[in-house]
Amino acid sequence: MRFVRDYLIPRLIQYVLVIFFGITAVFLIPRLTGQDPVLEVIAQIQTQGASLDPVAVKSLMESLRELYGLKGTLGEQYLTMWKRIFSLDFGPSLFQFPAPVSMLLRIYLPWTIGLFATSTILAWILGNILGGVAGYFSQKRWSKVLDAVIMLIRPIPHYIFGVILLILFAYLWAIFPAGGLMLGRKAVFNLRFVMTVLRYSFLPALTLVILGGAAWFQQMKLLVQNIKREDFVQYASAGGVKERILISRYVMRNAMLPQVTQLALVLGQVFSGVLMVEMVFSYPGMGLLLYRGVTRGDYNLVMGITVLSIFTITTAVLVLDLLYPLLDPRIRHR
Amino acid sequence: MSAILRVQDLQTFYVLEVLGTRKVVKAVNGVSLDIHENEVYGIAGESGCGKTTLLRAMFGNIEPPLRHFGGKVLYRMDGEYLDALSLPLHKSREMRFTYIAYVPQGSMSIFNPVSKLRATFMDFLESHVPGTMRKSLLALAEKHLESLGLSARVLDAYPHQLSGGMRQRVSIALATLLRPRVILADEPTTALDVVAQRAVLQLLAAVQKELQNTIVLVTHDMGIHATIATRLGIMYAGKIVEEGYTPDVFASPLHPYTQFLIHSLPRIGDKRVRESAPGNPPSLLHLPPGCPFHPRCPYVLARCREEVPPLLEVTPGHRVACFLREVNHGTA
Ligand SMILES: Nc1ncnc2c1ncn2[C@@H]1O[C@H](COP(=O)(O)OP(=O)(O)O)[C@@H](O)[C@H]1O
Ligand SMILES: [Mg+2]
Repeated sequence: MRFVRDYLIPRLIQYVLVIFFGITAVFLIPRLTGQDPVLEVIAQIQTQGASLDPVAVKSLMESLRELYGLKGTLGEQYLTMWKRIFSLDFGPSLFQFPAPVSMLLRIYLPWTIGLFATSTILAWILGNILGGVAGYFSQKRWSKVLDAVIMLIRPIPHYIFGVILLILFAYLWAIFPAGGLMLGRKAVFNLRFVMTVLRYSFLPALTLVILGGAAWFQQMKLLVQNIKREDFVQYASAGGVKERILISRYVMRNAMLPQVTQLALVLGQVFSGVLMVEMVFSYPGMGLLLYRGVTRGDYNLVMGITVLSIFTITTAVLVLDLLYPLLDPRIRHR
Repeated sequence: MSAILRVQDLQTFYVLEVLGTRKVVKAVNGVSLDIHENEVYGIAGESGCGKTTLLRAMFGNIEPPLRHFGGKVLYRMDGEYLDALSLPLHKSREMRFTYIAYVPQGSMSIFNPVSKLRATFMDFLESHVPGTMRKSLLALAEKHLESLGLSARVLDAYPHQLSGGMRQRVSIALATLLRPRVILADEPTTALDVVAQRAVLQLLAAVQKELQNTIVLVTHDMGIHATIATRLGIMYAGKIVEEGYTPDVFASPLHPYTQFLIHSLPRIGDKRVRESAPGNPPSLLHLPPGCPFHPRCPYVLARCREEVPPLLEVTPGHRVACFLREVNHGTA
């Protein structure tokens, strides 16, 4: 098949190369900064008042170097890193020592997928449908009112919007918990757990859906207003094609194309989580995990999250590239 | 002969609000035309003189910033004239493509880029012929394409897969699907190479032969008018300045502007330098007083600067809007 030989295989090679160079860069950059995470840990321990004798320090350093994959020459370290990646073992975390990073990820990731992925997709669907219809009927009064309301909401930062929701629905009218779902709680799937999750993620999800939806709304409205002026829409409209067909098959279908691209790119960022929202609602997601990892110098944890992020974003782009011709017939795999 | 489509003293202007000031572009400024059954009526004129705007108004599609300031467009249906500009919405929707069809300028981009042409054809058909089985509608579309000498296989293509000439022909096929009495075609040959131009003209001739209907053909190319138009209207600055049977207009052009248009045509064996009208067409925002052509006219008279010449018949069927007709007629 020509498609496999001329498109798929080169594209897959490109995919592998991007991941390879990305991860290599992640390996090199911290080493170029000249900081030694092991020395930092020792310094941290010492500032906490513990007095260590030189022999203990030396053996601690040895074992830390081992744990961090910092043992041996640069070449040996590089090989060690790849071995760890392939076995999905990023070593132990520091701030939750000795829990392995891979276990932390397994605990936190479902929470983020539950909140982030669900609310992103929901925001995307709602924002695009409302934005599309409001863009098509942009001369109508209700469309202008909706647009004005969204223009007010859109620039509100996530943490302020989150705090407002907390005040309204967790304190003044306390129908939702004010966060505090135990960090690091493991996801299990039974009804009670699902209900708990729903209760705890409702307000953060609402924040994400409303603010995210507002952004999609504005983009979609603009796209639709432009596409409505295009010849093929004007012509079909003048030619008596029914409005229902016109909105769905002519206007929305074409306006969707850039939005699908955007969605894939946003979803690819699942590993970074949504820090601000997670902080406001103390929601145990990836954003919070990464934040703690960075602030406490948890080298293995940050490395693990970064490597997986590179992987998901590149994969999202690959999937998008492969599926795009199904959406836009003008694009052909070459 | 009674006209199938009449335009009576039509005025449609673009009204633009720019930085709080109102600008009025007099794109169609008092046009009267009678278009007969079973003829090809050609409209010629430099670009920007209002040809497209006139067609849009004839199609009954006047939307902001274009506005209707006066006059009428009348469609003849069952022996009666309907005022096309004040039809209820459902009625005008219904008449479009069944009574009157429009092939817009630059019709390369009139197809939905993400749908196969089959879907586009079906969208138009389903909206106009409700309650018919998809299969028989599809058969109708295929038969129509084949009767015009096009392969029904184009329905399986996406618009971007067709050449420009083919897309133009398919757009004509789409417009004529429901056998309209009048087809308005705006610059269908512009931007095509000579071979594709011929194919499009042949197609228009085939359509006209098959449907026995009327085509209003707009192009600035006088050569095309010479080969296909039954009658010819010359447009200048939003007005018809000359009208007549094509052979008459070419044999004895009465308006100096028509003479320029005809003399700028290349002729085999003629090596003289082609002269086009000197100067530029007037801005439709600020029309000169009197005859709009007077600043460019080599024979300008004193009254041309003050009075607008009316469109009057000189010989049967041949009308001109020029004061020279009194001077020339009898002497020429
Ligand atoms: N949408 C528009 N808004 C404002 N002015 C317009 C618009 N379309 C056309 N015009 C102006 O109206 C005049 C006639 O245009 P048009 O009918 O397109 O001429 P033609 O088809 O003969 O080239 C031109 O001066 C043009 O600039
Ligand atoms: Mg034009």
